[in-house]
Amino acid sequence: MLVRFWGTRGSLPVAAKAGAIRAKIARALVAANGQSIASIDEAEAFIDRELDFAASATYGGATACVEIESGDSYFICDMGSGLREFGLNALKRCADGHVRIYNFFQSHLHWDHIMGFPFFAPAFDPSAKIRIHSAHPDAEDALRRQQEEISFPVPFDWLRASIEFVAMTPGEPIEVDGLTVVAEKQQHSHDSYGYRFRDSTGRNVVFSTDSEHKADNMKDEAAFIDFFRDADLVICDTMYSLADSVSMKEDWGHSSNVVAIDLCHEAGAKRLALFHHEPTYGDEDIQRMHEESIRYEELTRDGSKLEVLCAYDGLEVRV
Amino acid sequence: MDFSCRSADGILVAAVHGRVDESTWEAFADRMASAIDQAAAENLSEVMLDLTDLDYMSSRGLRVLTVAKRQAEAANLTITLAAPNDVMREILAISRYDKLFHISDSIDTGR
Repeated sequence: MLVRFWGTRGSLPVAAKAGAIRAKIARALVAANGQSIASIDEAEAFIDRELDFAASATYGGATACVEIESGDSYFICDMGSGLREFGLNALKRCADGHVRIYNFFQSHLHWDHIMGFPFFAPAFDPSAKIRIHSAHPDAEDALRRQQEEISFPVPFDWLRASIEFVAMTPGEPIEVDGLTVVAEKQQHSHDSYGYRFRDSTGRNVVFSTDSEHKADNMKDEAAFIDFFRDADLVICDTMYSLADSVSMKEDWGHSSNVVAIDLCHEAGAKRLALFHHEPTYGDEDIQRMHEESIRYEELTRDGSKLEVLCAYDGLEVRV
Repeated sequence: MDFSCRSADGILVAAVHGRVDESTWEAFADRMASAIDQAAAENLSEVMLDLTDLDYMSSRGLRVLTVAKRQAEAANLTITLAAPNDVMREILAISRYDKLFHISDSIDTGR
């Protein structure tokens, strides 16, 4: 499986402003002081050698959309604003012969997780087949509603693809085009669901976003430890610090980096991808959170190492 | 994980030893709740949690502290974390719990 992140931001799309880009350029120029960089190749080598991620790149600002490449058809978790770019990319792959079947798995139906669908170009392809898997019985209502005239000029019924809604029941695995998928109910406003994907070789990827793990309900986390058990990659909501998640942002439906690491440790997961980044965070804030997460993993490790990745728009992880 | 309590200068000093993680958090939660009940029953003003011999505490233990803080506040008690080792100081900083709790460098009750 290849996991490709098209949108990693939480709640609201954001974009780096002019001042942030200017600051990155200024840092790079200062770091290059006295060095001769005469070609793009030399510049690329300098970036790799001298600059950290926040100085040389960006985590991006599209909301949740993650592709799992496995088999012939597409698998996509959530329809955040990152879905627009995925859709354009998928059309190119289809032009090269890729099967035009899109299997979506929806964590929930909040705006930041469905806002990309009206801009999903393959939905206008009459030869495309779109299956939207969800444990929410009102998934179709949510997608139709956001394309009503008061919100969007193109109604849902104008879409040309074949669109099917597939109801899932938490805990009951289904087989979809070569993957076994099971949903797990999570704590979030109007509920959310995590998904665990298993391929024919036994590799497992867990997508668990918009999931709060409350201080006064820790016994319920046994279910999540089972859900994450021995996973090759867990993509986890780590939007807030633990302190924020138990104080001013309690009941906002999100988790923290340290809880995600503890759950992955307890489950024996191999890799964790920090995901659903706080939209008020700049690149340096997210990088600091990533560095602190790696350190916390080291401090609390009592078994095998958990590799802690930080998801960014464009990241690809081979599982 | 071991846990012991003593009263000193109007403060209940609770000492936690070892580590608080997925295997010990429930016992730690029970002992913290009892300590707060004891402090309230003795009309004390503060529970000081002595971390001198604590190896580390994962988010399980930190979240027990949050529940204990709520219980303490309902009983007009404050909770102070005292004498964390270097590892625990880092964990308190990473989790931002150093913003939620008063952290004392020592277990000097100050009276």
